[in-house]
Amino acid sequence: MESSDSSDKGNIDQSEAQRQSQLDRLDREEAFYQFVNNLSEEDYRLMRDNNLLGTPGEITEEELLRRLHQVKEGPPQQNSDENRGAESAEDVSNGDSIIDWLNSVRQTGNTTRSGQRGNQSWRAVSRTNPNSGDFRFSLEINVNRNNGNTNPETENEPSVEPSSGEDLENSQSDSEIPRSESPSVRQPGSERSTSEELTTEEASPPRGQRRARSRSPEQRRTRARTDRSRSPINPVSETPRRSHHNTSSQTLDHSSVNEAEGSSRTRQHVTLRQHTVGTEMPSENAVLFSTPETRPVPQAAGSSETNGTSESTTPGQRPPTIVLDLQVRRVRPGEYRQRDSIANRTRSRSQTPNNTVTYESERGGFRRTFSRSERAGVRTYVSTIRIPIRRILNTGLSETTSVAIQTMLRQIMTGFGELSYFMYSDSDADPSGPTPNQNVDASEPQNGGGGTSSNESTDVSSGEVYEGGNEGGSTSGARREGRNTRGSVTFEESGSLPFLSLAQFFLLNEDDDDQPRGLTKEQIDNLAMRNFGESDALKTCSVCITEYTEGNKLRKLPCSHEYHVHCIDRWLSENSTCPICRRAVLASGNRESVV
Amino acid sequence: MQRASRLKRELSLLTMEPPPGITCWQNENQLDDLRAQILGGADTPYEKGIFNLEIVVPERYPFEPPKIRFLTPIYHPNIDSAGRICLDVLKLPPKGAWRPSLNISTLLTSIQLLMAEPNPDDPLMADISSEYKYNRQLFLLNAKEWTEKYASQQKRASKPLEEKVNQSETSTANESTVQKRKGSNISKKEKKSRLES
Repeated sequence: MESSDSSDKGNIDQSEAQRQSQLDRLDREEAFYQFVNNLSEEDYRLMRDNNLLGTPGEITEEELLRRLHQVKEGPPQQNSDENRGAESAEDVSNGDSIIDWLNSVRQTGNTTRSGQRGNQSWRAVSRTNPNSGDFRFSLEINVNRNNGNTNPETENEPSVEPSSGEDLENSQSDSEIPRSESPSVRQPGSERSTSEELTTEEASPPRGQRRARSRSPEQRRTRARTDRSRSPINPVSETPRRSHHNTSSQTLDHSSVNEAEGSSRTRQHVTLRQHTVGTEMPSENAVLFSTPETRPVPQAAGSSETNGTSESTTPGQRPPTIVLDLQVRRVRPGEYRQRDSIANRTRSRSQTPNNTVTYESERGGFRRTFSRSERAGVRTYVSTIRIPIRRILNTGLSETTSVAIQTMLRQIMTGFGELSYFMYSDSDADPSGPTPNQNVDASEPQNGGGGTSSNESTDVSSGEVYEGGNEGGSTSGARREGRNTRGSVTFEESGSLPFLSLAQFFLLNEDDDDQPRGLTKEQIDNLAMRNFGESDALKTCSVCITEYTEGNKLRKLPCSHEYHVHCIDRWLSENSTCPICRRAVLASGNRESVV
Repeated sequence: MQRASRLKRELSLLTMEPPPGITCWQNENQLDDLRAQILGGADTPYEKGIFNLEIVVPERYPFEPPKIRFLTPIYHPNIDSAGRICLDVLKLPPKGAWRPSLNISTLLTSIQLLMAEPNPDDPLMADISSEYKYNRQLFLLNAKEWTEKYASQQKRASKPLEEKVNQSETSTANESTVQKRKGSNISKKEKKSRLES
């Protein structure tokens, strides 16, 4: 064909040096290939799980060998055998990497991390109770917009230290440990006793566990009960916070959230909290996500700010803190009644005749209710997400940290986004929002008006300080992205705040849709594997378009398609479908099979 | 297995058995920077046009799709003025449909198909898309005009967006005459392969 002319020509003109370098590369790839095939399964897993395999064609065989020895000699990395024994995240030692942290969250379900970026400090705690299937993730961020002026201790430089404050980690995790549900007992499905602990906590007086209000990262994370007593915020300065509820684009999310932050420059104390509490149905898990915009007046005693004062926010008094507290717990029959769930209370309390708006949506089996109510100038937003328990059971109790949880989290986060979205549209006083209601309209003038003005005034006062923090956030977001080996998350450079990136990463990093991306190592390892034998018909791995040679390790997916182990593993670590037929690799996963 | 060797294999396949109406070659001996040409199919407004594309192969190929864009301006609902193409197989899952079992040849074929069958419901160029939907005549007129203006072979040499294929300029020009002569044949074959795919 005529086309071969030009291609050949191109080849011929190839300079010698380039050709040589390409040849070298090919050699190295060949060597890599050989090396991987000669590894024992354990060694292969070890190297893969520790991410030592490098890039084929770049890494030399010697280097691979050296790494293998190193990893064999050295103490096993925490991520080499996850899910068993590995305890809490304190052992995520090279803690500068968020990725590590997230990995270990996924693996052990128990981590505490904190850090500081610019004028923001964040702390995230997550733990999983394997027995009860409870999962809790909390994230608390303090934004000190003041620090440029008044708080020299906080570093204000946009160029953030890569080490996200591990020094803080220990002390904080110490404070956390006593409260954590013994993570060492990890017998799937064996016991439910640990859920009692949660129960107790929930039953304890709501305000007893309030976290300190300082901006120090050591702040206690509050427990379930405290939600409505927290966060005296200017209702309107908060409302601009939003994200797109369709979560179709993380970039969008970020920018919008950021924008929201930018427009709410008051010093505010924001509490976003998610709870799971008992539900009516024994067969369901309920996640209650309540975002108290403002504290109801009776609850205001705990802190100095009432709704009224928050409107005239006094700058400098309180650094903004954002707390995301998520608890997911399994619900046993009968539990519900004793519990007097937050959901109910919040709702019943706020269900004054006039000012309750409820939106409901149902998507993918997750039912969401969103309600907004208003009383005495206090607006309360409650979003309830109900997740059928079978979604969790599908994956089994032993894998509480696995995809099921992630899916749930994603759902919750999506709900959160929706919530924020509603809040936003609310504050816009846009009656064309979803299910516009007379009551909404009626309430707008009071709160919306007052809040807006206060918002504007504070805007001016703390504006430039905020920019600094924002910059820091974006830097760290970018930095994290660089580290993100999956490359699937694009943090918007322009000012994603670290905590939100973190939350987003944690909850949404898998994808933009509601489907989980890659498989876990266990899931991959559970797939059939065999050695290519000479008796097999000649076949080609369609990932690398190379024919199998004897001794090659092949992995067979449930759809019977086979690939080189190292080829398919890499794909499956980021995706969950067969490269040939696109069928879902996990038949029973929480993702609908693509047939 | 991975990028380099796979690309090498793909290139040799593309050279040996290029899909009808498609050529692809290395740009200035860069393994990860390819150029391709797609002939406008018969019975499309792009008929007789020669469209140049740039293919950048990412480091993680084939686990990531190559980045393909049109260098030649094209009037198409799913291709924007920078040449970017809105096509699911060019994106990673879960949004996209890229998978490692696809290759550059299949991608180029998909693009060829997209040229013949725009997808106005997933538009990149909203105005072109609505034109395509509601005023097909005007769309065809515009698309033909663009094809003549930017993609016809006579103008190739002076096209602003045309990348310099310096040494092989003359040979490609010759080549395209050949292809033009064969145009009708090729596009029939194309259609067949479209049906198959």
